[in-house]
Amino acid sequence: MHAYIGAKIYPVDGPPIDDGVILVEDGKIAGIGGDLPIPDGVEVVDLSGKVIIPGLVDAHSHAGMWGDGEGEASQDGNERPGPITADVDAIDSVNPHHTSFASCREGGVTTVQIHPGSGNAIGGLCFAAKTAGEVVDDMVLKAPTGLKGALGENPKRGAGKDSPKTRMGTAALIRDYFARAREYGRKRDEGKSPDPDRGLENVLRVLEGEIPFRVHAHRSDDIVTAVRLCEELGIAYNIEHCTDGYLIAGFLGERGIAAHVGPGLSSRGKVETANRHEGNAAILAAAGVKVCLVTDHPFLDARYLMAYGGVAQKYGLSFEDTLRALTICPAESIGVDDRVGSLSQGKDADFLVLAGEPFSFKSPVLATFIEGVEVYTRPTL
Amino acid sequence: MLAITNARIHTGTGETIEEGTILLRNGKIEALGKDIDVPAGAEIFDAGGRPVTPGLVEAHGHVGLANEGVGWEGDDVNETIDPVTPHISALDGINARDRVFDDFLRGGITSVQIKPGSANILGGSAVAVKTGPNNAADDMIIKANTGMKAALGENPKRAHGADKDRAPYTRMGSAAIMRDWLFRAREYVEKRTASDSKTGYDAKLEALAPVIRGEIPLRIHCHRADDMLTAIRIAEEFDVPYTLEHATQGFKIPEYLAERRVSCAVGPSMSREAKVELEGVGFETAVAFQRAGVPFCLTTDHPVIRALYLHMIAGKASAAGIGPDAALAAVTASAAEHIGIADRVGSLETGKDADVVVWSDDPLDGRSHPVRVIIDGEIVYERE
Repeated sequence: MHAYIGAKIYPVDGPPIDDGVILVEDGKIAGIGGDLPIPDGVEVVDLSGKVIIPGLVDAHSHAGMWGDGEGEASQDGNERPGPITADVDAIDSVNPHHTSFASCREGGVTTVQIHPGSGNAIGGLCFAAKTAGEVVDDMVLKAPTGLKGALGENPKRGAGKDSPKTRMGTAALIRDYFARAREYGRKRDEGKSPDPDRGLENVLRVLEGEIPFRVHAHRSDDIVTAVRLCEELGIAYNIEHCTDGYLIAGFLGERGIAAHVGPGLSSRGKVETANRHEGNAAILAAAGVKVCLVTDHPFLDARYLMAYGGVAQKYGLSFEDTLRALTICPAESIGVDDRVGSLSQGKDADFLVLAGEPFSFKSPVLATFIEGVEVYTRPTL
Repeated sequence: MLAITNARIHTGTGETIEEGTILLRNGKIEALGKDIDVPAGAEIFDAGGRPVTPGLVEAHGHVGLANEGVGWEGDDVNETIDPVTPHISALDGINARDRVFDDFLRGGITSVQIKPGSANILGGSAVAVKTGPNNAADDMIIKANTGMKAALGENPKRAHGADKDRAPYTRMGSAAIMRDWLFRAREYVEKRTASDSKTGYDAKLEALAPVIRGEIPLRIHCHRADDMLTAIRIAEEFDVPYTLEHATQGFKIPEYLAERRVSCAVGPSMSREAKVELEGVGFETAVAFQRAGVPFCLTTDHPVIRALYLHMIAGKASAAGIGPDAALAAVTASAAEHIGIADRVGSLETGKDADVVVWSDDPLDGRSHPVRVIIDGEIVYERE
């Protein structure tokens, strides 16, 4: 057992603790508080003057699959030609030895939800993983965690002979495929054993409520189309990116939608991102949207997720909401909040040691712990 | 006259003046210091003890060439018809009304060098402009023709090469093309200046002539350390002035650069390894350069990183180990030096342009923002 003492702790699911103690045993938090007795024989680590927050949870990442720095040969984010690749699973594209996981650890990201890309109208299964390990299967926290969908510009760029040419074409493709999955399920339930189809099986998992549909949408009309489709289909869903969300914040807020807002700090690189606004997260949160700040790594390098939090705060998101948007909110959205996203007894010992208050540039991540193991240590200069 | 009082003045050259005053008149800094009398009738802005810096200077960008949130219609960065286009000029592609200039003001950037893209080996001339008020690009010019854009590494190979079935296919091919054109430009300059010259006008060679005459530098895009060495090799062979742009893997060869006092526009450091040649991108190069004494500035390469975040890049570099004074200089005075406009901008000194930013808090913290941006003595942006 280890005892980390002396730091100011932001547990996220409770008030900050000055001069707190975290007890860690077998990768779990065995105790946390301001006035905990420290059992005999425990290795004590003094973190006086430091700050502890939960490991960050990034609900939209392509860590290990985009092959940054490795060129075309390692680009494994979008299965082409599309437009429907519901049968693929992100886990089969992820290389744990890719530098992107080192970026995650350096940036304090300890849990990621890894999505297939957004090139296809239905892109495949997402899963949640820790960011340290040698074998991806050992890093899995939960799989699958959702089915990726996409609206707007990206699916229209597809090379498939059936790839949509318009936004209404994309919506029709998704509707049609879900209808076929429902038909497939009905046959199966009637004992008619349809021809096995992995893609339809995966969509059926959405229709049956096992996993949500996670829909890429930037422009406000694409976001509204996502809502229209999912409400029609009666399925659980959330919006990925939600770039124009602030334009229709009331519409989204009254539905209590979860929005994975990001990639942070990025430019208006596409026509559908022309309205990008730094106040988006704050406006959405104020309207009642469950805001998660995401990197979409590599589109914002995971090293800079905390900096994105600082910017969201600068444009109006409160300190508490910013911290939640990087920890417990994404953990809930992914469905892994029983394990990560806050610091309380029984949860995984995933935490960060910061040099000072979170989001200040003078408070770099000094150390990242995953399940009690120090997986990143800031080099001394 | 505008007087900014009660300011924590960071001059951009390492000096800090507490409770200082700056007087701005006729677009210039008339005086600054701790005990400055404010003349009667001056408009007074009380900074309330907040930090004041020079307007930030972005040394490298394609601002106004790549219109934001527009498709191909607004993309005027790379003239990819041919890998050698020295005769084009960034000034002719700038849309001064593009909303991107608002971003620059919101980020406290008042000067920027705009260059053609890096698809071509010799890519055209650069220009330094103010970022506002954005009426006509020509009215914003600080210095026309601040250098000849050049590029090595992946980009020229990708934009031409195998896809277009034309040279360059390889790095050595790119180097050979650059040499060939510099050689021809040198011949051209010699022949055109001879009294009995029969050499006719050539737009491309004419555009390269100021490089050969040493009047403007080659500004060579290079990321990988070996590309940086190739750039230096060629520039030294032809004895022409040059700077390195990006210098991503400079951390591998800091002493080699320090020996030659090569000026490098480093960045965008907050970027990702989007290309193979970006391996190792981060703040290591800024730290290595500062230790070795390589002159450098920091850049966003907007839109790779939004210009809005230039001050955050400086903050990250500071935290990575270069310290606050060098970090601020890297986005003000050193950037102006790199561009060759330090006589006008980049520091708060008497006689320089009245380009000043008042910040909500420490500009090296990402959570701070400009509350006033002043260009040529006029307030062009306000936020409280």
